[in-house]
Amino acid sequence: MDHPVDMMNIKAFTLVSAVERELLTGDKEHISIECVECCGRNLYVGTNDCFIYHFLLEEKAMPTGTTSFTATKQLHRHLGFKKPVNELCAASALNRLLVLCDNSITLVNMLNLEPVPSGARIKGATTFAVNENPVNGDPFCVEVCIISVKRRTVQMFLVYEDRVQIVKEVSTPEQPLAVAVDGYFLCLALTTQYIILNYSTGLSQDLFPYCSEEKPPIVKRIGRQEFLLAGPGGLGMFATVAGISQRAPVHWSENVIGAAVCFPYVIALDDEFITVHSMLDQQQKQTLPFKEGHILQDFEGRVIVATSKGVYILVPLPLEKQIQDLLASRRVEEALVLAKGARRNIPKEKFQVMYRRILQQAGFIQFAQLQFLEAKELFRSSQLDVRELISLYPFLLPTSSSFTRCHPPLHEYADLNQLTQGDQEKMAKCKRFLMSYLNEVRSTEVANGYKEDIDTALLKLYAEADHDSLLDLLVTENFCLLTDSAAWLEKHKKYFALGLLYHYNKQDASAVQLWVNIVNGDIQDSTRSDLYEYIVDFLTYCLDQELVWAHADWLLQKSEEIGVQVFTKRPLDEQQQTSFNPDDIIRCLKKYPKALVKYLEHLVIDRRLQKEEYHTHLATLYLEEVLRQRVATDSKDIEATETQVKLRRLLQKSDSYRVHLLKEKIQDAGLPMESAILHGKLGEHEKALHILVHEMGDFSAAEDYCLWGSEGQDTACRQHLFHTLLAMYLRAGPSAHELTVAAVDLLNHHAREFDATQVLQLLPDTWSVQLLCPFLTGAMRDSIHARRTTQVALGLAKSENLIYMYDKMKLKGSAVRLSEKKLCQLCQNPFGEPVFVRYPNGGLVHTHCAASRHTTPSSPSPGTRT
Amino acid sequence: MRKPDGKIVLLGDMNVGKTSLLQRYMERRFPDTVSTVGGAFYLKQWRSFNISIWDTAGREQFHGLGSMYCRGAAAVILTYDVNHPQSLLELEDRFLGLTETANNDCLFAIVGNKVDLALERATEGGEKEGEASGKAGSCVSSKVPRQVQPEDAMALYKKILKHKMLDEREMPAAERMCFETSAKTGYNVDLLFETLFDLVVPMISRQRAEEPSQIVDIASCKAPTRTRSGCCT
Ligand SMILES: Nc1nc2c(ncn2[C@@H]2O[C@H](COP(=O)(O)OP(=O)(O)OP(=O)(O)O)[C@@H](O)[C@H]2O)c(=O)[nH]1
Ligand SMILES: [Mg+2]
Repeated sequence: MDHPVDMMNIKAFTLVSAVERELLTGDKEHISIECVECCGRNLYVGTNDCFIYHFLLEEKAMPTGTTSFTATKQLHRHLGFKKPVNELCAASALNRLLVLCDNSITLVNMLNLEPVPSGARIKGATTFAVNENPVNGDPFCVEVCIISVKRRTVQMFLVYEDRVQIVKEVSTPEQPLAVAVDGYFLCLALTTQYIILNYSTGLSQDLFPYCSEEKPPIVKRIGRQEFLLAGPGGLGMFATVAGISQRAPVHWSENVIGAAVCFPYVIALDDEFITVHSMLDQQQKQTLPFKEGHILQDFEGRVIVATSKGVYILVPLPLEKQIQDLLASRRVEEALVLAKGARRNIPKEKFQVMYRRILQQAGFIQFAQLQFLEAKELFRSSQLDVRELISLYPFLLPTSSSFTRCHPPLHEYADLNQLTQGDQEKMAKCKRFLMSYLNEVRSTEVANGYKEDIDTALLKLYAEADHDSLLDLLVTENFCLLTDSAAWLEKHKKYFALGLLYHYNKQDASAVQLWVNIVNGDIQDSTRSDLYEYIVDFLTYCLDQELVWAHADWLLQKSEEIGVQVFTKRPLDEQQQTSFNPDDIIRCLKKYPKALVKYLEHLVIDRRLQKEEYHTHLATLYLEEVLRQRVATDSKDIEATETQVKLRRLLQKSDSYRVHLLKEKIQDAGLPMESAILHGKLGEHEKALHILVHEMGDFSAAEDYCLWGSEGQDTACRQHLFHTLLAMYLRAGPSAHELTVAAVDLLNHHAREFDATQVLQLLPDTWSVQLLCPFLTGAMRDSIHARRTTQVALGLAKSENLIYMYDKMKLKGSAVRLSEKKLCQLCQNPFGEPVFVRYPNGGLVHTHCAASRHTTPSSPSPGTRT
Repeated sequence: MRKPDGKIVLLGDMNVGKTSLLQRYMERRFPDTVSTVGGAFYLKQWRSFNISIWDTAGREQFHGLGSMYCRGAAAVILTYDVNHPQSLLELEDRFLGLTETANNDCLFAIVGNKVDLALERATEGGEKEGEASGKAGSCVSSKVPRQVQPEDAMALYKKILKHKMLDEREMPAAERMCFETSAKTGYNVDLLFETLFDLVVPMISRQRAEEPSQIVDIASCKAPTRTRSGCCT
């Protein structure tokens, strides 16, 4: 996980001088700085000759972007000992400075450095730490933990403006050397290990062993409930008050002497360098040479280092600048980690704007390295204006687009050519990426406001790459700009697609013309091999009649059977309202006989129009065709041709053609079956059957005739036909053996169609019962069945009659008394004579009232009066 | 920073391949590693949980950090090198002691790494265990008869349960918790980590349900939770 140091460098801090040597020690060699404290603009320095210096710091932004500091000395005071000032700590709420000197902590005024008059002090302290997460609620009181001169003892104090109060004394398992405080928790460096000690409960938890004899320990509170500790092997270890580590350690040099935190960095000092590590990824980010440093401390975000002679400030570069530097050297991941880490240090709105921009920049860096997955995620999460990306690709944005790239630019590339340096393979990859990306975002809200730009770009990419999705794009909802897209499609010879584009833009005429040109071979585009059928289909559903007419001839010339579909396959509901007049169509189809037949079939069979002309016309066309086939084959082929079957079916089924006209045409044509049908149509059954039986000898046709000839008529009619046929068979006498057999078969197969009594009288006596067994059983069963159903019907009728009789009796049962008080329910007058009408519900009315009143008697409800 | 819901710690002698195993699992590769300094960790999202996996340093110098890393661990992966019997012994001698700070119901997995370097045992030559290591033909010549047998690891596993006074019937069986892996070929690496995740996740949910206010307890001085170190003195 360690990375070469030079690669990872970043400029996070600059080191500037704060207090000039002259202001402090001058050229007195023996005087050295022992400790510093910084609180707001106040800077305090303690020296080895027992002086405290107070400076005011002034921060100045330099035109170069850096900051400089000047310190002006306010005051210095000797504490009156011959001992060094060991530690200083300001308590600004109390206006006090805590000064550790000669094992005792005194309180002095922050401004004039005078000791408090009460003389309050904490005695016997070797070092101390202020609790920055105090548990006691008093704002005018600070909590101080000291390591006592007493062996293995720490003490907690409350320090007020002019008094101190001990709260707790805790003994430790070993001699403590350094301490930091957070709430009730002390983090202590003992002789051989670090521990967390809850001074309230006395419970402690070992962290890890550490040999303080080899190297002085470091204990530093870095935030809520978390400490930074010097560990073995030059490690900076993190530990929480719960005794666990939540961050991986940073790796310092073996001889660090101080550490500080300035988010998100951990800064360490050794005798030669200041090193900067990120807490976010634990990597070393910066190294500043700094000799003879011996103090490194942070004060509310300000980091101060000092040698024995001078005081310096580590000025952090603005995070945004650091991030930009990282991006400039393409260290995307680090930049993002830093940006994310900065979230809590920057106001929310400002952060969001900044972070979005960083994500976008990062996206373009990844993109330029063809890391498309990463780039896509970054673009997506930062809601990149897609046109930024499209604009990298030459000619993709429509000429009308008002887009200009954002400023300052998100990347350094003029276009894709520059980015790929002309590498065609890379270029193709980039294009494929853009295709998939645009396709993904076009239906999301990212596309809002510039759908035209996106779809037009997508169309161009698809067309150029000969991509199947081009057609999908054009047949679904899209926002492709017509002029731009059309020119592009033409350039790439995507004529079929161009047609779709025209169609989408309601220019069907141009679309169809273009497709016709493709079919005719005037222009080349092999997108669809079935383009002709496509056009037919298109025009079939096209509402523009003129357009259909304009291309009707072309379609029919190509193929009569398929071309005619523009007329026959039109959706039905449309046929009703718009006026594609069948006669116009028929006129048009005159030149195309096959198409005409198909169209008439459509009218007669599919749409069941009963117009005589259509039926006669169709029958005539069939007939002509049959006759033509006859001539062609020149044989009396008995097998009926397809057309002949159609003709027969039409003649049978239709009642709308002109029978006589056809009869005329058919005469002498040698079409007995057809003439039989026509006879039948005229009701000349005898003639028809005669042809079938005697001319054609086709008995099954004769049977069929009886069936279809009586279709839709009553049973009497059917019986009549069958009897006629039977009679025809029998009339020939027993010598015509064939006919006799036919008669028997007819009876046995169609027993139900005959009146058995009549038949029995007709039959020759010589026929055996055996022979007619099926017929006779059938007839018997029928007759029995008829009898039984009649009996049931009779029974039912009788019982119904009984019910009515019962009702009638009920009504007649009681006497009606007519008095002067009774009034007619209709006219409300009394009855003058003993004549009245009584309704079933009991109402009485005058006879003349009842006569004049035809409606139901209940309407002037008789009940209203009672 | 996302807060992890549970912790898994890798322990074992230096050079046994802890870092390599973790990188193989997390980054699907087998890069050159340098001996780990201090420790490092990864966050792995498993179902709705964030599990932190700590890679520790096997070097003697950093041995003392182990206890802290193990504090509150839900599972510990004890790693050895199947070609170095000493590395298995070290687990018992040096590393087991570090796990005192782990959760009471901490799971243990024992992992023999670098099986790709070991020849199959003559007696079980036909077993399919060896398929992952058998691919690279050039490796065959450098192979040595394996030094540590799976039974040795299982014996250690049972010993650990006894030592921790854990009921063998309540803990996952030794066969399930002893793995042989190769960070180089990836053999059994996913199985190792994902078996552990699947075992750890229910423990985390159970803990959440049982002691929702544990963190508050520590901070408020009134009702101190008795820690292990506190009650064993
Ligand atoms: N052949 C083979 N080599 C491995 C395997 N795993 C690790 N190695 C190698 O063993 C060496 C040590 O691997 P690391 O993963 O760094 O070992 P570690 O356990 O993390 O060591 P420390 O960090 O010092 O505790 C490296 O050279 C790896 O390439 C393996 O499965 N097969
Ligand atoms: Mg390692």
